[in-house]
Amino acid sequence: MPCERKPMRYGHSEGHTEVCFDERGRFIVTCGNDGDVRIWEGLDDDDPKFITVGEKAYSLALKNGKLVTAGSNNTVQIHTFPDGEPDGILTRFTTNATHVTFNSSGSRVAAGSSDFMVKVVEVSDSSQQKTLRGHEAPVLSVTFDPKDDFLASSSCDGSVVVWNIEEQTQVISWPLLQKTNDVTNAKSLCRLAWQPRAGKFLAVPVDTKVHLYERGSWDHVSTLSDDLLTQPINVVTWSPCGRFLAAGSVGGLLTVWDANSKLCVERQKHEKGFTVCGLAWHPSGGQIAYTDTEGCLCLLDGLSTSASDGDAPKAPAKKPAKDYDALFDDDDDDRLVDEGLSGANSPVKKREDEDEDDFLMPATGRVRNRGAFLDDENSLDTGSLKLGRDKFGDDDNDDNDTGSAIVPPSAAPPVPLRPVYEGPLPTHPQKAFQSGSTPAHLTHRFMMWNSVGIVRGYNDEQDNAVDVEFHDTAVHHAMHLSNSLGHTVADLSQEAVLLACPGTDELASKLQCLHFSSWDTNKEWMVDLPSGEDERALCLGRGWAAVATSVQMLRLFSIGGVQREVFSLPGAAVCMAAHGEQLMIVYHRATGFDGEQALGVQLLQLGRRKRQIINGEPLPLTLRSHLTWLGFTAEGTPCYVDSDGVVRMLNRSLGNTWTPVCHTRETCKSKSDHYWVVGVHENPQQLRCIPCKGSRYPPTLPRPAVAILPFKLPLCQTSTEKGQMEEQFLRSVLFHHHYGFLSSGGYEVDEDGQTRSQKEQQELLMKMFALSCKLEREFRAVELAELMTHNVVPLAIRYASRSRRMALAQRLSELALEKSNQVQEEEEQDEEEPEYSGIRRPSGFGQSEVTGRRHSNRQREEEEEEEEEEEERGEEEDAQEMETEETTETRKRVNPFAKEAGSPVMPSLTPLGKVGRANPFKLAGSTKPSAPSGQPRVTNILDNMTSSRKSAPLAGSAGKANKAPVLKPLAPRPKPRSKTQSTLLHMTGTKAASKKTPDSTEPPADQQKQPEVPPPASPAENTENKRPKTGFQLWLEENRKNIVADHPDMEETDVIKDAMGRFRTLSADERLSWTERAKGQSGDAADLKKRKRGGEGGEDVEKETGPTGADENIAKKKKSLDPSSKLSAFAFNKN
Amino acid sequence: MDPSEVEFLAEKETVKIIPNFSLDKIYLIGGDLGPFNPGLPVDVPVWLALNLKQRQKCRIVPPEWMDVEKLEEMRELERKEDMFTPVPSPYYMELTKLLLNHASDNIPKADDIRTLVKDIWDTRIAKLRLSADSFISQQEAHAKLDNLTLMEINTIRSFLLDSLNCMYKLRSNLQPGSSKGQAMDY
Repeated sequence: MPCERKPMRYGHSEGHTEVCFDERGRFIVTCGNDGDVRIWEGLDDDDPKFITVGEKAYSLALKNGKLVTAGSNNTVQIHTFPDGEPDGILTRFTTNATHVTFNSSGSRVAAGSSDFMVKVVEVSDSSQQKTLRGHEAPVLSVTFDPKDDFLASSSCDGSVVVWNIEEQTQVISWPLLQKTNDVTNAKSLCRLAWQPRAGKFLAVPVDTKVHLYERGSWDHVSTLSDDLLTQPINVVTWSPCGRFLAAGSVGGLLTVWDANSKLCVERQKHEKGFTVCGLAWHPSGGQIAYTDTEGCLCLLDGLSTSASDGDAPKAPAKKPAKDYDALFDDDDDDRLVDEGLSGANSPVKKREDEDEDDFLMPATGRVRNRGAFLDDENSLDTGSLKLGRDKFGDDDNDDNDTGSAIVPPSAAPPVPLRPVYEGPLPTHPQKAFQSGSTPAHLTHRFMMWNSVGIVRGYNDEQDNAVDVEFHDTAVHHAMHLSNSLGHTVADLSQEAVLLACPGTDELASKLQCLHFSSWDTNKEWMVDLPSGEDERALCLGRGWAAVATSVQMLRLFSIGGVQREVFSLPGAAVCMAAHGEQLMIVYHRATGFDGEQALGVQLLQLGRRKRQIINGEPLPLTLRSHLTWLGFTAEGTPCYVDSDGVVRMLNRSLGNTWTPVCHTRETCKSKSDHYWVVGVHENPQQLRCIPCKGSRYPPTLPRPAVAILPFKLPLCQTSTEKGQMEEQFLRSVLFHHHYGFLSSGGYEVDEDGQTRSQKEQQELLMKMFALSCKLEREFRAVELAELMTHNVVPLAIRYASRSRRMALAQRLSELALEKSNQVQEEEEQDEEEPEYSGIRRPSGFGQSEVTGRRHSNRQREEEEEEEEEEEERGEEEDAQEMETEETTETRKRVNPFAKEAGSPVMPSLTPLGKVGRANPFKLAGSTKPSAPSGQPRVTNILDNMTSSRKSAPLAGSAGKANKAPVLKPLAPRPKPRSKTQSTLLHMTGTKAASKKTPDSTEPPADQQKQPEVPPPASPAENTENKRPKTGFQLWLEENRKNIVADHPDMEETDVIKDAMGRFRTLSADERLSWTERAKGQSGDAADLKKRKRGGEGGEDVEKETGPTGADENIAKKKKSLDPSSKLSAFAFNKN
Repeated sequence: MDPSEVEFLAEKETVKIIPNFSLDKIYLIGGDLGPFNPGLPVDVPVWLALNLKQRQKCRIVPPEWMDVEKLEEMRELERKEDMFTPVPSPYYMELTKLLLNHASDNIPKADDIRTLVKDIWDTRIAKLRLSADSFISQQEAHAKLDNLTLMEINTIRSFLLDSLNCMYKLRSNLQPGSSKGQAMDY
């Protein structure tokens, strides 16, 4: 028998609470330790009315518009209901009353008190009191016999007593309970309950069981128990029809028995397992409200007890018609008939029937309306049906003897407990909402609160209006619109206000747009949605508006009102958000189970390049929560908040995953406080929200003030220094991604902010590095160094060496080398990029940003290198001795490592120099993969690296050799250098870097025709009037004869073509050597012969060409060359 | 020191405003203000808040203590205690006056607050007079001025000091011995 457990909500402060329904079932009334009586118009009521009755309220009872409460001032008071006017004091005790209750007619009130007395008072005349004395300890509970003859009470002295009210005497007393001295020490509250109407049974909770005593004979007729009940039962209540008995226990277990069959028909566990201390049955029988000792109010909805009652009167009507069918068929209908035939004697079959019904439900996709019970027509219907039936029952009672309507328990067939479906239950799918709006049922509410402004909706007797107010009055002045159409949803952007109303029988659902930024005079347009189609969610982007409708359709309009697109959504829309050209839609992917929502998310890029970035992936939510806010950060990163207060942000760099960045509830002081998010900013990192005390939504008045929350990633051990820094670093990285996204989208980027955050990240890394050094975690230190940009690694090396960690420094220097290689590689990719950027760009917008940064890094590194070189020129000797002897002077000790740090630059720069020259070959290889020995680009570079590294130790001049080709392309770069030199540790903006790139590289067009490409003409080369030859030409000169011999009949052009092909098949190193030779030739003719001779030697070429190249450069740029070459030599020696 | 000077000092207190314009940080001698983001509360001195308010550039968020319930509590306490109770702000009177005169539309229950603050003020001034009276009648040499605000001291100072001077003169005339000397001076 499935019933739905509604989410609990906080009603009172901790302590004893009680709950009851008013007679018509409209209100739930609770009282609690805070002395307030709250009147809830259903569980979803966010602003319950409250009546303060005292400092504490121990118990309450409600009947005939009179609310009786037991307060801490030792009185029992009356208030009118629902107005809450004080209506006098009913009675007083010497201490506080513990339990009050009305009799069935509402004419009398019984109250039990801690002063061992029970009083029965006439409501109309409080002077007519009857006092029942006899208990020897505080009274726990009192209950009236429905016929008003008797009164039962339980007490801490362990007894349950039935009194004759008129005679004020004890009829019978059972010693059933454990003795205690006070109500607070009692194991169980032992709330008694007398069966309503017939009054046949008195239910007494005794430990984990409920004893039923028969009225009159006072015999213990039966016991209701359940195996799952392990803790004492606190409170029992009969259903209004008197057939079912509900019990709430200390452990938070709720059990419902059928009193006839003594079977457990329903079990529910309290959401948090708090002790249930108040239990009330809705007059219709379809709901049970309960409260716990933590002050929470919960509701069980959809109890089918009433439904089964409701079925009964229907069945006889059907009987004649179906009588014959019953003989032949065995389907569901017949069960009903059977039921009709066998009457109330077959509760089991009924239940079976209901079970089947409920199993069918998910299968047929018919979701039962489980919204606020006020809207729930079903429950009202069954209620009225049941009432009708109850009247019948009453008649029966009058006709027959007492309680004949209810089958005596002994007569009920002993049927074993039927298996109840206890698997996962489907969740009610959450309704569509606008993020930044408060619930639609409020008369004054926010229809939208976003970063642009506030849209407020008023819908009361005097006025139905919409107020639009802008945070920045520069956007537009405030507007007041009359809301004759009854708009319920709204969105607001810098350009327009979008409003929509649901359709009615006559009118279609309308979409109204106030395009206030329009330059023409017509600032408004309106569109009717097709009939039967209602708006669900809407949003405004830049230059467009989107509406999701009830038929799972999404309609896109331009801001001027042109219908641009329409497409179907994969599920019912829940919420939409827009930012610039991005549109995010969250919809129901499927039915969730056990309180979960199954939501999917789509992220679309509109505008020029239309595409889908996230296509219908599940949206992760906290367990048992729903979506409460969806939007973008001001910088355009998708974000959302769930009902548990967790803010998640899209991590574009990790395959569009969602990272929780803040848990707003953690900062709340009280359990019932919430933060209502209105905006998220990444730069500066701000979560803008409105603190709501004791509610989920802010009221419109007084005007709520925005507060700012910091972000905090839920990392482990954030109390430790390490955890803190890790969290900061990760957060900084995460909130840094938007720069890449923005720049890829062609937006202006706050470069200051970007460099600041980069610097912050590197500083954090350095701090973490230092920390792990301190903790002797060298491996971790290297891991951290791997995260650093390669220009910070030298600092790490310096730190390591200063703290005498040679092994670490060693590893770091290797790492530095690797890093610069990577930079190199990426640079090459970057250069090649223009050729197929069309393909690459969309997939990885972060790429350009990264490379841009690398550029600046490289540039910076050069600065550092040069500076260090300058300052160290005099110390070369010391530096070289570094390996053998420990120099004591710090400066000397530091410097060698600095050199080492600098030295990796050379290999990194070597290929850079070659990029201009060598790249064409690589391209040729990559563009023509069919070429037999066309090596992949990566190995090519690695080859270069290893060769240079190998050659380095061989000769001291090798460094020079490596350096030689490097500086030529770098030469025309004094400008950025001078700029950065002043701010050494300050990173230069990416713009400078990207501007620089084309300078240092060849135009891509040249790369295509590599053989003809002359090496970039450096001033030195230009001075010599020789025609610059390429490697290919040199090679051609030598091999021409072979080619001609092979193909004697070839034309000259064919020969060249063939030669080109052959040249390409050469290994990269060979080709390189030819290029080198070509350079050497053009540079110094005198060395030509020697080089040619040596050139045959393959790898040695580099060494050979070295001096010549170096010569040129020494002439040109002596300063930087000399020391660095030696440094590099030193660095490699170390290896 | 006249009240306008005290008020001038009070204008240096900070108050939260919600601007409806956007402006970067402004750098003033007294410190940096801002940045101003529309819709986001920011702390500014009262003089700036009032200036912006007059130009309809912001809404003022009343200070925490400017709340009917809190002030009621304070008033009760002030009435109950014989000594001066701590006040919510050293410039509570001035701020109340300034904010209520210029931004009463941003402060809920402005009239109630005005009355309450006036009540507190009256109670305190009455106490002050009473204690001044006992101070003089018992011929105390010194008095503690705990929890007194500048404005309160200022209201009574000129009068009290003058009268003390006068009384000193009168008393020294009464004393035998010196009376002759005094008389001779005249």
